[in-house]
Amino acid sequence: MKNTCLFIVFTLISFAVNAQQILISNNAKVSFFSSTVMEDIEGKSATGGSVIDTKSGNIIFKVKNTSFQFKKKLMQEHFNENYMESEKYPVSEFKGTIKEPINLAADGTYKVTIEGNLNIHGISKAYKTQADLVVSKGTLNASAVFKVKIADHNIEIPKLVFKNIAESVEVRIQATYLAKK
Amino acid sequence: MKIKTSKLFALSALLLFSAQTTFAQEELEKELAAPAADKEKVSATFKSTKLINGHTNETLYKNELDFKVDHRFGDIAGSNGGIRKFFGLDASTDVRIGFEYGLTDNLTIGLARAKGATAVQQLYEGSLKYRLLQQTTDNRIPFAVTLFGSNTIAAVAANKDDPASPIAYDGFKDRQNWVAQIILAKKFSPNLSFTLTPSYVHRNFTAFRDQNDMFAIGAGGRLKFSRRMALVVDYFLPFRNKSDKAYLEKVSATKFYNPLGVGLEMETGGHVFHLNFTNATGIQEMQYIPQTTSSWLKGQYRWGFSISRRFSFAH
Repeated sequence: MKNTCLFIVFTLISFAVNAQQILISNNAKVSFFSSTVMEDIEGKSATGGSVIDTKSGNIIFKVKNTSFQFKKKLMQEHFNENYMESEKYPVSEFKGTIKEPINLAADGTYKVTIEGNLNIHGISKAYKTQADLVVSKGTLNASAVFKVKIADHNIEIPKLVFKNIAESVEVRIQATYLAKK
Repeated sequence: MKIKTSKLFALSALLLFSAQTTFAQEELEKELAAPAADKEKVSATFKSTKLINGHTNETLYKNELDFKVDHRFGDIAGSNGGIRKFFGLDASTDVRIGFEYGLTDNLTIGLARAKGATAVQQLYEGSLKYRLLQQTTDNRIPFAVTLFGSNTIAAVAANKDDPASPIAYDGFKDRQNWVAQIILAKKFSPNLSFTLTPSYVHRNFTAFRDQNDMFAIGAGGRLKFSRRMALVVDYFLPFRNKSDKAYLEKVSATKFYNPLGVGLEMETGGHVFHLNFTNATGIQEMQYIPQTTSSWLKGQYRWGFSISRRFSFAH
């Protein structure tokens, strides 16, 4: 009888661990900013998706290119049609690992290192960046800022508009993760 | 009993262990909710509001201004072309300067002035273009539908001497012409788009026995062969009254042809340049649909270009 109780406790623990292991964010905010003397260009999406496996530190981040909104809609059209070729490469994604262990039980602010591959425009490139994690009451808030060089991902900018678009854009990410139910 | 207990332990340990195993990237990816079903609207079916002669389904976005200059030179070859006329560059059959403005993403208003290619000249055009339906990526709406309407007023001095002249105007009403079009468009792939344009042209006043009302059907296409260049083509087939056509051909020795344009489109982000060849002399719908009297086969085709610059006042 005692052992049966123990079994049940163990199973419950195992389920509880399982439930806390996967963190999901379905409305992550992604924005990028390109600033030149000629023009500031900003694209914003609030529908990024991400999952973290807290045990391994594995993280996946995806955003649909067509979900980026611009102040000028013609820019949005050019972004999808000419630069990202969204019909060919609909999604930009990052797959990597968070180097430091994540403990959801301990509230606090952590600076972590994330390493992995960023795939934009069909071209994958290794990235290493710092991110801020804020754990509070079982939810995780993550934010990161890094630079992406346009030429690294084979995105061509014609010479005529070269001065309007910066060579590297600043990408900002903000996501709130909840434990998978 | 003891064996049973150890089995239970093993089982629970296994369960615990399984929970501890980490997810591989592929398994982890499955945890990501699939992106919401594609109900997106197809954008950039065409890069410009016009192909060569005909309109595309595209309207301007809200608070955008498009400034466009269209130019048609003289005949390249034939009796009016050749080196003596510098392959048509000495002459201009028509020039049009137009402004379009996006009141909303779906409604564009336009104002233009064209030289005019026939006796009916000094044209003022006011137009409305309304995007009724946009193609969706999931093919729930398989093609786009845009409505176009224009009113053109000729400012040329009336010809009072010849009552058979197409400009023997009696009053302001005679100077007005109307065009209505339903522009159907489909983007088959990122590189291939087509239009089909049932059109109706009404001219309040024409030459004797020329048609006041005319139906026509237009067709056009765009084949993108590089990121910024495309081949564009359009054609109009007017439906003419046979006896009127025969009369006009006999009396005024004018033969009607169907306008065909072929061109190269270059897009640089904000600017769209067209270099084209067409047998049409006029640029306005109310001229090139009912009044194209020059033929490709006689060398009566011409260089044309259009330069469009889009300014955005959105902020």
